[in-house]
Amino acid sequence: MTMDSEPPTLHSRRTLSLRFNVPISKTNRFWQSLKEGKFVTTKCTDCGELSFPPQADCPRCMGGNVEWVDMGTEAELVTFTHVQVTPTSFVQSDPYFVGVGRLGQGLKVLAWIEGATLEKLVPGMKLRLEARSGEDGSSYYVFVQT
Amino acid sequence: MPLLRQAAIVGIGHSKFGRRTDVNLGELAFESIKQAVQDAGIDKKQIENVTVGSAGGWYEEALPAVVVNEYAGLGGVGTMRVEAACASGSAAVRSAYLSIASGEADIALAVGLEKMTEVDTLTSVELMGRAGSYLWEFENFGMTFPAYYALFAVAHMKRFGTTEEDLARVAVKAHHYASMNPLAQFQKEITIEKVLSSQVVSWPLKLYDACPLTDGSAAVVLASEDVARKLTDTPVWIKGIGVSSDSANLSKRDNYVGLAATVDASRKAYARAKVTPNDLDVATCHDCFTIAELMAYEDLGFCAKGEGAKLLKDGQTEMGGRIPVNVDGGLKAKGHPVGATGVSMMVEISKQLRGEAGRHQVPIKNGRGLVHNVGGTGHYCYVTVLSRDQ
Repeated sequence: MTMDSEPPTLHSRRTLSLRFNVPISKTNRFWQSLKEGKFVTTKCTDCGELSFPPQADCPRCMGGNVEWVDMGTEAELVTFTHVQVTPTSFVQSDPYFVGVGRLGQGLKVLAWIEGATLEKLVPGMKLRLEARSGEDGSSYYVFVQT
Repeated sequence: MPLLRQAAIVGIGHSKFGRRTDVNLGELAFESIKQAVQDAGIDKKQIENVTVGSAGGWYEEALPAVVVNEYAGLGGVGTMRVEAACASGSAAVRSAYLSIASGEADIALAVGLEKMTEVDTLTSVELMGRAGSYLWEFENFGMTFPAYYALFAVAHMKRFGTTEEDLARVAVKAHHYASMNPLAQFQKEITIEKVLSSQVVSWPLKLYDACPLTDGSAAVVLASEDVARKLTDTPVWIKGIGVSSDSANLSKRDNYVGLAATVDASRKAYARAKVTPNDLDVATCHDCFTIAELMAYEDLGFCAKGEGAKLLKDGQTEMGGRIPVNVDGGLKAKGHPVGATGVSMMVEISKQLRGEAGRHQVPIKNGRGLVHNVGGTGHYCYVTVLSRDQ
């Protein structure tokens, strides 16, 4: 409703800050390998389904026998964006480029594209996945241009 | 599987959409519920169940359904809140529909509701950005709702030559029709230049490519065939609902030029309602971003893949065109109170089929309209075919 002055509201005094303990025990191999700069994911030994993100149970045949395989790091840019209005928990970040890259075996990964500019990014261009660690010791990964 | 009974919309209600700091959650829902009950000409005691569609998280109440029911004096009814992100409203209508089709109820109420402006804007941006796969797409990469749709815009532009101007044309159309809808959040026309020069939110999408944050509610009363015939001369029949979904991770999608969930849900809805897109007089499509409306034309079969921009440019989705789309202003300019949107779409198509849409009434020939409601970035899709004739 369009109003000349804002109607009165009660500004709640009770605040809520949420941090989640996200279980990663079944996919920890990914995060451990990432610390060594390696990229692995799960492949079902029963039906051959390759998954990313990795998962301990096969989404295709529902089997529980998966092996960890090398994902490779060479990728082709499928699509991208430049996030200029960032969410509240990313307000400290400069605007960032996010891309979806297709790896050699057909898996796709979404990640930041480091050092990009709008002029340089073109779908189809070559990218490489690289591991990074944050100031707090957390591991993550980015695409870089090759 | 054939359903046991038919159901019709017999009462509609719709609040003013916008920044509604003048009302709390219960008061906002009441505006629509009261209208819908009065429009149906029933006593509220006849309502056997109430389904509230609301994504929630940005308002203070954890149990919106009971808060809404208490305020409206609907204690004792069977009730729940349903969530299908931005398609929560259609999910609520489907729940009410199934309760009637199954024979459980004769009269059911579906309420769509959202209050998105009680938290600050960037917190709302955050909550919507988490609507996907938190660990793999938000924790490290801070995806936002515009960013997800921007991935589709870039791919669509690359593959089909769609331009930023084509996208801007969707926004101009939306604002044009919103100016004829007194319940819409935005009441002013805009120009292509204004869209193109607005702040980039997530390139190539700009502020005017995006729907606003909106508070709003909408409600529909559904009734079984016998009851509907007694209550009204203008029941709007639910002829077919198609539902589908897709991966949480956007990285798992086959392509970024359309939403597979829309293709699947619409084909199911067309088959159940025994219609084709050519039988429709009017449609509401899920235009949370400008690119979403162009993809919807294509995915719903209004035109071939890649020809969405042309369909709009040729005027085919305007009033007087082959299939007028979002002549109520759409999510883009009417506003998008997430959980309310699907019910708002049902209200709009009901008005059109009854001939009560006022300044934005389109000619009704076949008596059929479509509601296309997407949740998230094609995570959910609900498509509903409504008909004037049983």
